This record gives sequence, structure tokens and C-alpha cells, in this order.
Amino acid sequence: MADTAGGNAPKPSSSVKLVLLGEAAVGKSSLVMRFVNNDFQENKEPTIGAAFLTQRTQLPHRTIKFEIWDTAGQERFASLAPMYYRNAQAALVVYDLTKASSLTKAQHWVAELQRQASPGIVIALVGNKFDLVSPEGSAAAGGASLDDESEEGNNDANAEDEDAEDSDARKIPTAKAAAYAAEESLLFYETSAKTGMNVQEVFTAIANAIPEASLKGPRGSGGAVGGSTNLGGGQNTENSGRVNLTGASGAIGGKDGCAC
Amino acid sequence: MFNLSSLVQKAQQFIEPNLVNTGLLSDGRPSKAALFRHQFCLPDSQNPLQEITAELTLPFHHSVKGSDSDSGPKYVGKLHLSEQFLCFSTQASSFLSTASTSSSSSFTGQTHGTGPAGNGFTLPLCGIRRVERQNTPTFHFALVITTTNGFGDSTTAPANSPPQKLKIELAGSRQQCEKFCDGLKRGLREAIKEAGNLRKVIAECYSEYHLASEVAQKEKEAPDTGLGSVFRYPGDSRKLRDKAKMRLWKEYMRENGGNVTLVRQPTFHKLIRVGLPNRLRGETWELTSGSLFLRLQNPELYTDTLSKFSGQESLAIDEIEKDLNRSLPEYPGFQSEEGIGRLRRVLTAYSWIDPDVGYCQAMNIVVAALLIYMSESQAFYLLSVLCDRLLPGYYSTTMYGTLLDQKVFESLVEKTMPILWEHLVKSDVQLSVVSLPWFLSLYINSMPLIFAFRVLDCFFLEGPKVLFQIGLAILRINGEELLDATDDGTFISVLKSYFSRLDESAHPKSENPKLRAVTRFQELMVVAFKEFAGITQETISNQRAKHKDAVLDNIENFAKRTSIRNLGPDSKRLSVNDLGFLYDRFYGVLYERQTRMEMLQQEADRKAKATSARANETVTGIAGNSGVAMGRVGLGPSPTQMDYDAFREFLAGIAKWAVTDSPSSPHRESHDKPSYFNGSVRSRSVSLSPWGSGPEPADHEFMQRLFRRWDKDMNSVLSLQNVVSGLAGVKGSSDIMSNISYFFELYDDDGDGRVDREGILRISEALLFLSRRGMSDVLSPNASTTDFSQSLNGSTDGRRENRDEQFLSSISAFIRRCFEYADPDHASNREGKSDANSVHDSAKAFDAFSIGGDEDDEDLLDLDDKPKSPATPTNTSPPPDLDATPKPNNQTPSRTNAKSANLALDPANPLHLTLPTFRMLILADEQLETFFDTAFANSFRLSDAPVPSSASASSNLTTFSNLSGGRSSSVSAAPVPGAGGVVAPGKGIRGMLDNIVSDGMRVAAEVRRRMDEAQRELEAGGGGAGGVHGQGEEEDEHEELEHDDARSTYARSVREGDRDLLDGAETADVQVQQGESKGVNLMDQPVVEGISGAVGLKVGDESRGRERTGSDASKIVEFER
Ligand SMILES: Nc1nc2c(ncn2[C@@H]2O[C@H](COP(=O)(O)OP(=O)(O)O)[C@@H](O)[C@H]2O)c(=O)[nH]1
Ligand SMILES: [Mg+2]
Repeated sequence: MADTAGGNAPKPSSSVKLVLLGEAAVGKSSLVMRFVNNDFQENKEPTIGAAFLTQRTQLPHRTIKFEIWDTAGQERFASLAPMYYRNAQAALVVYDLTKASSLTKAQHWVAELQRQASPGIVIALVGNKFDLVSPEGSAAAGGASLDDESEEGNNDANAEDEDAEDSDARKIPTAKAAAYAAEESLLFYETSAKTGMNVQEVFTAIANAIPEASLKGPRGSGGAVGGSTNLGGGQNTENSGRVNLTGASGAIGGKDGCAC
Repeated sequence: MFNLSSLVQKAQQFIEPNLVNTGLLSDGRPSKAALFRHQFCLPDSQNPLQEITAELTLPFHHSVKGSDSDSGPKYVGKLHLSEQFLCFSTQASSFLSTASTSSSSSFTGQTHGTGPAGNGFTLPLCGIRRVERQNTPTFHFALVITTTNGFGDSTTAPANSPPQKLKIELAGSRQQCEKFCDGLKRGLREAIKEAGNLRKVIAECYSEYHLASEVAQKEKEAPDTGLGSVFRYPGDSRKLRDKAKMRLWKEYMRENGGNVTLVRQPTFHKLIRVGLPNRLRGETWELTSGSLFLRLQNPELYTDTLSKFSGQESLAIDEIEKDLNRSLPEYPGFQSEEGIGRLRRVLTAYSWIDPDVGYCQAMNIVVAALLIYMSESQAFYLLSVLCDRLLPGYYSTTMYGTLLDQKVFESLVEKTMPILWEHLVKSDVQLSVVSLPWFLSLYINSMPLIFAFRVLDCFFLEGPKVLFQIGLAILRINGEELLDATDDGTFISVLKSYFSRLDESAHPKSENPKLRAVTRFQELMVVAFKEFAGITQETISNQRAKHKDAVLDNIENFAKRTSIRNLGPDSKRLSVNDLGFLYDRFYGVLYERQTRMEMLQQEADRKAKATSARANETVTGIAGNSGVAMGRVGLGPSPTQMDYDAFREFLAGIAKWAVTDSPSSPHRESHDKPSYFNGSVRSRSVSLSPWGSGPEPADHEFMQRLFRRWDKDMNSVLSLQNVVSGLAGVKGSSDIMSNISYFFELYDDDGDGRVDREGILRISEALLFLSRRGMSDVLSPNASTTDFSQSLNGSTDGRRENRDEQFLSSISAFIRRCFEYADPDHASNREGKSDANSVHDSAKAFDAFSIGGDEDDEDLLDLDDKPKSPATPTNTSPPPDLDATPKPNNQTPSRTNAKSANLALDPANPLHLTLPTFRMLILADEQLETFFDTAFANSFRLSDAPVPSSASASSNLTTFSNLSGGRSSSVSAAPVPGAGGVVAPGKGIRGMLDNIVSDGMRVAAEVRRRMDEAQRELEAGGGGAGGVHGQGEEEDEHEELEHDDARSTYARSVREGDRDLLDGAETADVQVQQGESKGVNLMDQPVVEGISGAVGLKVGDESRGRERTGSDASKIVEFER
């Protein structure tokens, strides 16, 4: 337990399975592309069922490896979604700020996840395409809930002002989505995959919000070894009280929840 | 008998086209026709007409090794004749009705690389040029068939090959042979018409060109062999030894015919296994998959479809457009407008002819791949075969086929590789996230193209099982590495790297150069087809059958959750259970109606078919698309909107007042039979009755108003959302005031806050209509009535009945008061409105038309005391004589009273009711208050009180009266007048209520009559159109009463028994329904009874998904007998 995380020792690493859900064309793939490749371009990759990507995020005391399932856009693929959100620890539910129906769809997915996915799944509600509704440089809502440290200055953008400014393109007021997110205890961000705004932040916030107990060891080669590393390592350094009891089962804790 | 079973089979095929030979069905008679079509990849229009054992003798050829005699190879097998095809196969299958199931399905066993059709041929009759009969010493008959091969088109005639002759010796009795030949002759005569089509189709086959002489080739343009001929075919053709393959094929086809006339010999299958040459690949896919035969039947369908829908837009087209740029983008052909254009056209055309599938992502990739090797029109037909037969349900709107096959694949992995499976489970990796794209895009997106096409070569020849064999082999070969992987990511990367090295040596370190030369792909093929040879089409079918229900249930639950969550804010006012109930009920009704229509349609089709033997399918071109829509929600698109008739049926299922009193079903004669038989006789008509097995709904003006009110979008259909919102309006508010307003608004047509005289009458009629079956079970207990009723009947049941009576009297009082308190349209007319005296007077006056008694709400006391009350006379006089009835009473009121009443009734004095007045009137009456407080809302029974149920005729008068006779004596202690058999079946509470209701109706009718008369006098004309319903209703009631003179006391004595039966029936019904939904009860019953258990079983299976009723199943069995 005495490991100093800041030293030369590699930071403990955990993988987090994350699924993206939302109406077609809200920008799920673009968000992932921005997060993984820091790039924004027309998607040339045909997606069948869901695309799988990985990306690491550095937290002060650990590394999170996201295993991302980007589900296919077409409506009929929705019935395949349970296959992908099954045992996911996190979900990004995306809507398009400029399309009213997409929030309804997002709310459906939230309800679906809350009822059907692993208990304790961390859900972030993301309103994408912020660049379309804001004049250059205007700020957006970000990190509006849970225990997330608020991003500098992001929250002071006030919904009414924004609405007045870009009433044409914006179809979903920040306040409305934020209120819904608060009610359902979701992380909430407005993003732009095009400019990259808030994209990294969403994933970081998710990484921070994953309960320690449900973090698995680094997966991949030698699962057993990874698991024990995890146990010995920095699991307890960050949030002292939380994990002690579950420490022994920490590596599989997240999975127990979803076996059902 | 035959007809019905084929009907059932057809229905089954719609549900699961590939499951015709499942374990579920195999103990009965699977559809032989479907098996036949599957074996030879024939269009759905084909049926096995004749078959005979035969020996096929081919001329000697050097391409077929191992035959050293000059008689050439011989094959023993079965010769089959369908409407348009002559097929020969060495697979020992039989499709005669007398044949055993195993022989019908034998081709689903191991086929050793030949595909289901084995060695032999599948010859369209129009491809036969000549048939000669030869006599031989050993056989009765020998036929020498000369094909059109070599005669097709003089310019493309093969240079130096003799006409293709097939010698077939028939083994059978003389009679059998004659019969077969007669059939063949008939078919050949018909086939002449299709010669033109054949010429067109063949002109697009590269084989014709390939076989033609060089001179001929120069004169002709080579047929379109896909984008590859322009943008190069994938892979290095030298490495693929394309030229050598072409030579081998040329030689093979010269001797065995090309395209439609091709004879399949072992070499053919071997040539496919080693990979098809580029320019013959598309054509061979067409041939082995059978899509060539679809094209032959309707060669213009592709171009016709495109021109027919040219310029039109659709959702599918939008979706297609998005994906065009990401369909094999690495292939140069799809970086060009030419390739993109082809892809767009094929996908678009298909989305038009198969709107149920429309467009599904992954189809773009598959079609893009096909287009590298075939023309647009060839790809179009092949896509059709893929969607209909090879990948059933893969691309449907619910993608159930995809999910199903993933389940099947997982279960095969579990069986064949238990250690790997356990590892997957332990590390919580879901196999299907990896394997789903393999199946959905036929490995095209997973493997390098050249290898994916090799898989396709086998897949089109041998069927879907190939996808499973390849998938299993991939896992087996990578087993060790996969055992080290513990998460999705590693799993995926192991397989990705495997796919990228398929061209490398499988044994790079081997000493043996031959082994070293074996590529990983070759290894994959060997493992797939040798090690997993045991995976046959039958394995797949059985597994599909096994998992089908679970998969569909999952999808349906998902769809239901989705749907219920998206019902809008109104839905929050109903409980989740109620929403679930409504969802089931709503789609249940739509589904049942659709099924019924289909049955009727099929019955009609069958009749039509009987006369004009085949014409049908040739017209529609691609068979089997039309039926896909039918089925469970999970299977794909189904209707989502309810018209008024469906709405009536829906209401009849949730509210007993919505059930008609006079079913028009032709089976009313079966009255006197015990209910058991009655049930089955009734249900016999189900498929042909417009209302199926459920109670026939009433059609009252109130229901029409409700429909219009709920139809928020004003498009004369209700969506589930409309229904939920509508019911939320009725049931969702606990506030009596808003309930009253709701009702009031139903009748305030112009929304001005006033209901006129006509409206008042209609409201009264509606109240009578709603209460005519009694409100007792929904009105909350009311202590105040107890004493009174007990003195009457001395039974608790009487109390209940009495409440009903009281309610009715409340309504009649209500009518009275309505006119009393209505506001005159011209205020001057009625200043005495508030005067107590005048109120009293007009009330009195109105009593004249009422059921009797005084101002007291206990009017009905009189009626009970004197059974021969005003209502009785109507029983003797159909149609109801409205004029006659009220007369006796009419004499009592004083002149002045009558006058003031007349004032109220006088249409010359228009008046109206406002909402506040209406409210006041309702609240003034305890019964009505309760009605609006809870009873009306409760009369719609949702999940809290599962009722009604289709089969339960409990709410239906017919059954009610049927049952009462037998039960009455045992239950009731009261003396029964007359012997049970003589007295007309007791009416119980119904009879009582009918009387009262007709009285109430009569009041309304009388008012209306007077209005009409006055109207006529006023020359205004035609104000009474609205009266139709009320009167119709009365006639209904009246009819019901006809045989029933001695009802009175007897009726009361059997009431208790009736009630019990009613309850019993409902409970029983609920149980049946539950059983069904679990699919248990129905499955067993018919089998145990042993009467054509097979058919019963099928029906049972079907009905699980469809919520058929128990009696339905027995109906089929009876029919079968
Ligand atoms: N302006 C703008 N367009 C975006 C943004 N994100 C995605 N898009 C566009 O929206 C369309 C759909 O994006 P895609 O990522 O494929 O959506 P998906 O179906 O949810 O995966 C594409 O044309 C993207 O270029 C964004 O943040 N701003
Ligand atoms: Mg996407």
C-alpha cells in the first residue's frame, strides 16, 4: 500500500469498456475519432455492428485504457446494442444539439442502460456539434454533474444567453439537457468533434467517475499477472476509504455485476 | 386436408424460411415442396410434381477421370419434375407425399462438397430442345434429352462441340414411367413460352461467350462480368492461376454444358473448391445459388424496377447514399462514379422490391463485392436470394436472423470447443461481437478480398453452413492464442493479425516443402470442411429452431421497452404494467388481424391457383418477398397503425361494453350444443370470420367518437401512442372533474363548450350503451343500496344486480334532468329554469317516457315487482315499436306536465347543455358520480384486471345463455320454472338488464322520434340521422330477448351460476393465454391427442408467437381430420 504513485514505478493501468450509443449521425464515430486520433474527417471505415477502438487516458494516479465500442448508425442495429453494452462500465450517450429528436433517442438509451446494463455503469450524456450553434470561441456546458472537478470556466456559459444567440441551429437548450442529466445523475457535456472541444474532457470525466471497485487490471496478455499487479498497486492510493474491502476482488468486481 | 396443411406450412415458411426442416417439424410432415426448392435452389413457384428413380448416363469425356469405358460416367439418383424444371440429383432424396421425412431431408446431411443438389443437373424445361424415348432391354424407358446447349444462338454456338445429350433411364413400373413422361410432356409444352427469356438470360452469361468460337467472339461484345473487367479483379491473377482455371472450365463446360444446362459432376465441385476464375465467378455464383433461375423467370425485373421508381425518394435511399463511399473504398472500382453508380442502383432497386428489408448496412459491402464479378442485374437477383434464402432475417429491420445465427454459432462453439468456450465465458468476452461481422458481411470485411471470395464460392454452392464451418475453423486454428486473450481488444487483435496473414505458409518451419507450400487459407479450408464436416445444414436448422424463440423474445422485449419508453409524456400517466399490457394488446390485435387477412388471402389464392395452375409466381418475379412482413414483431416490420375496425376489436378486448350483443357470426345456430363443441365450431370459422376468435365488437357511435378523439393526427388510424394517450385521458386522471369534462368534450363537436339537444341524446345513449352489460363489477361497492336489494332478492347477487338497475334508473333520471336544466339557446324561452316547481313538473313529464316510478331514484322498483313492465311488449314485436310502448304510461301525466316536457323536447326551442350544467347533473346523482369517478375508467381493463380475452365468450351473450341452462339447477336453490331444456336459456342478469336498457333506449328513442316528427313538420328535414345507432342497438337487444318470454324469476335464480361460469371462463382463459405465451400447453395437447399431431404441433409452435387461442389450435386439428 505504500507505493508512491508519483515515482518511477509505472502507474497502474486499468481497462474500461465503454460503449457509444445514440441516434444515427449525431457524431458518435467522429467523437471517437477525435478522441483516439485527434482527427476529424469523413468516416471511411465501414462499420458492421460496431467498431472497436482503444485509447489510453492518463489520470494523475493511473492509466485508463478505454476499450471503445462505437455502435453502428442505422436504426435497425439498435437491437444489437445489448450485445455491446453488456458488461460495459461506461457509456457515452450522444445527441445532436441541432436535432431535437436526438435527445429523445438519447433519453431512451439512458433508460435502457439504467435498466439493462451493468449496475453502476457510468453514463455521460453528450450534446455534440457545438461548433454549429456557437459563434467562434463561445463556451459550452461541461462537467455539470457528479463529483467531477469542474472544468475551468466552462460552466459559466449561461444557457439563456446562448439560446438567444443561436436560436436557429440549436434545438436543445443546454439547461434542458443539463436538468435531465442532473435528474438522472449523468455526466453532462456539450462537445464538438469538429473542433475537439470538450472531447478529451468527457473521457477524462468518465475515467474519474468509474468506481475504483469496478476497475479491472490491465487486460490483455497475462490476465492473471495483470490482476495481481492491480491489487498490489495504486488502487488504494487515490481514494483511501473506498476500496479496502473490495481490494481482493477488485480485479473482477466490475464483472460480477454484469454476469446477469 | 392437403390444402390446409400446405397453408400451415406456408405460414411456417414465412416465419422462418429456412426452418422448414427443423426438429420441431420433422416428426410431422415438413414442407416437401420447400425442401425440394431448397435442394435445387429453385424459385418459390416450383413444386415437386413427379419423381422417379433413374440412372443418368453421360457421354465419355476426358475431363472426367477414372471412367475408362467409353460409355461415360453413370449416376444413379432421383429425377424430379416441377412445373418448370427437370432436376436430377444423386442425393437420395424424395419429396413424394408418401416418402419418409428422412428421405426428404437427406440432403441436409453431409454433402461432401457437392452442395445439396449433389451430382446431376437442374434443367429449366425451356432449356430442353428435344426428348426422345428409347427402349432398352433393362428399363422400361430411357429418355435422351438434347439440351439447347450448342443451339442457343447461331453466333455464339460453341465451335466444335456436339449437341449435349443426356441419357436417362427410368426405373419404375411402366405406369410410373408413363406418368412421369406425361408430366414432362405437359411441362415442355408450357416451356416454349419461356424460350425468349432463356435467350436473354444466357446472352448475359460469360460461359456462352467463353465457349463460342473465336470468330463468333469477335462479332460479339463480351458479357458484363463485373467491375473487375474494368478495374481489375482483386489478387494477382497469375498467382491465382486464372488462365489455367479458365481452360479447365472451358473443357468442363464444353462437355457438360454451361449455365442452365450444366451437368454437375465431381469435377465441377472440385473446380469450385479451388476457387473460381474471375470471369466465370459471377455466373457460377448465380448458378449455384439459384439466382439465375429467378432472373430467368423475370429477366426485366431489375431494369423495370429502376425505371418504375426512378426519381422517387425513400429513407432507404438516404441511408444507401451515406454508405456508398464506404463500401470497399480500397477497391478502385468504388473510387469511381461508375462503381458507385452500380452499387447505388442495385441497392436502390432492391430496396424497392423488398421494402421490408429496404436497406441494411452491410448489404452495401456484400453487393459491392458481388459487383466486382457480376453485372448489376445479376447482383440484384443474387441479393434477393441472399436475403430470402441464404441469410434469412439477417438484414431485416430487427436483424433477428443475424442475432439468431450468432446464438447458433455460439452454441456450436460451446459444443465443439468446450475449453475455448469456457475461457470466453470466464473472461467475459462475448463471442458474437467478434463473429457478427463475419456473418453479416460474409467475411468480406474481415478477410482479404481474395480469400473472402473463395469462401463465397463455397457458400453459394453449399449454403449457410459454410459460414459456420469457416467461423469454427478460424477459432480452432487460433485456439491457443485465444486462450491467452482475456478481453475484447486482445481477442480482436489476435484474429485481425490472423486474417492479415492468410496468404502465408501454414507450416513455415516444416521440412516438407509440400507442407510448407500450404497456405494458412488452405489450412482454414481443410479444417473447415474436414474437421467440421459434421456441421451440416440440418445442424444449423435444428439449432436455429432451438434458439429461435429466445432470440425473438429478446428482440421483442427490447422493441417493447423501446416502444413503451417512446410513447410520449401522456404515457407517464399509466403504469408500466398497463403500458406493457397495451403494447401487447395493440400489436396482438393488429397481428391477429393481419394473420387473418393473410389466411383469407391465401385461401383465395389457393382457389385461384387451383384453376390457373402456376401463372402466379411468374408474375411476381421474385418469390417469397411478400410474406416476410408476416410474423412476430421480432421478425420485422409489422403494421403499427389501427384503423377503426381494428380499434373496435381492440376495445372489445379490454372493455366488455365494446362487445356486440348480436354477433353476426354464422355459427349462432350452434347455440344448443355444449360449450365445448360450441367453442370448436365457433373457432372453425375463426380464420374466415372477420373477427377471428375474439368476441365480435360492437359498433356504437360512442366508439366512433372515442376513435376520432384519440386520432390526434387526424389520419383515421391510431398509433400505439394515440391509444396510450387516449387511454391516459380516460384512465390516467384520478380527478372526477376532468373525467366529466373528457366525456363532455367527446360530444362537444364544435368545441364551443355546449352540447345541443342531439348531443344530450347521444350522451344518454352512450351512457346506456356503456352500462348495458351492467356496471356492477366496476362500480365501487355502495352500501346504501344494500337493504333495499336484499329485500327484493334475498341474495347478495341481487344487490349487485340492483346496483345495475339503479344505475340505469340514474341514467333515465339524467336524461330527464338534462332537458330540465339545459340552457335554452334563446334565454327568453326558459326563465322558469330555476323555478323549483317547473323543474318538478318537467321532471314528472319526462317520467312519462321513463321506466315508471316517481322522482325517486329507485324507479326500477316497479319494474322488478312487475316483470311485465313496459319493456315486455317489445319482445313480441320486432322491430321495436317505439310508438306503442310508452302509450300506457303516457296517459298518466297531466296536461301541463306534458306540455312542459314538450317544450323541452321541442326542436323549435333549441337548447344546449354546458359543461358546468353537465357536471352538476352528474354530481347530483350518486351512481353517475361513481361512474365518472372510477367506473368509466375501470371499464377499460388493462393489466390490473386482465380480462377479456379473445376466446372468452364470457362477456358474450351467446355463450352466457348457453351455459346457464345446464348449471342453473345445481347452483341455484331457487325453484326453476319448467324443465331446464324447455325454458329458453336463462338470461340471468343479462335478461334483466336488457329489459331495462331497452327501456332507457326507448326513452332516448322516443325523444328522438318526437324531435324527428317535429322536425319533419318544420320541414327542416333529416335531423335524425344520428338515431341509427341507438335504434340498431335496441334491435340487437331485442333480438336477444326474442325466445325469452319466461325470463323473470327464472332469470334471477340462475344468475349465481352464470356468474360463476363467467368467472371460471375468464380464469380458464387467462390460463390458456399464459400457457400460450410460454408455448407449453398448446405444444403438447394436439400431439397427445394424436390426431394429426404433426399439424397440431406446427400450429402450436406458430401460435406461441402469435398468441393464438387454444381453440384455434384444436380448430386446425379438426380441419385436418
Ligand atoms: N459540424 C459538426 N459536424 C459533426 C460533428 N460531429 C460529427 N459531425 C458530422 O456529422 C455526421 C455524422 O457523423 P458520424 O460520426 O458518422 O455520426 P454517427 O452516425 O453517430 O457515428 C458526419 O457528417 C460528421 O462529419 C461536430 O462536432 N460538428
Ligand atoms: Mg458511426
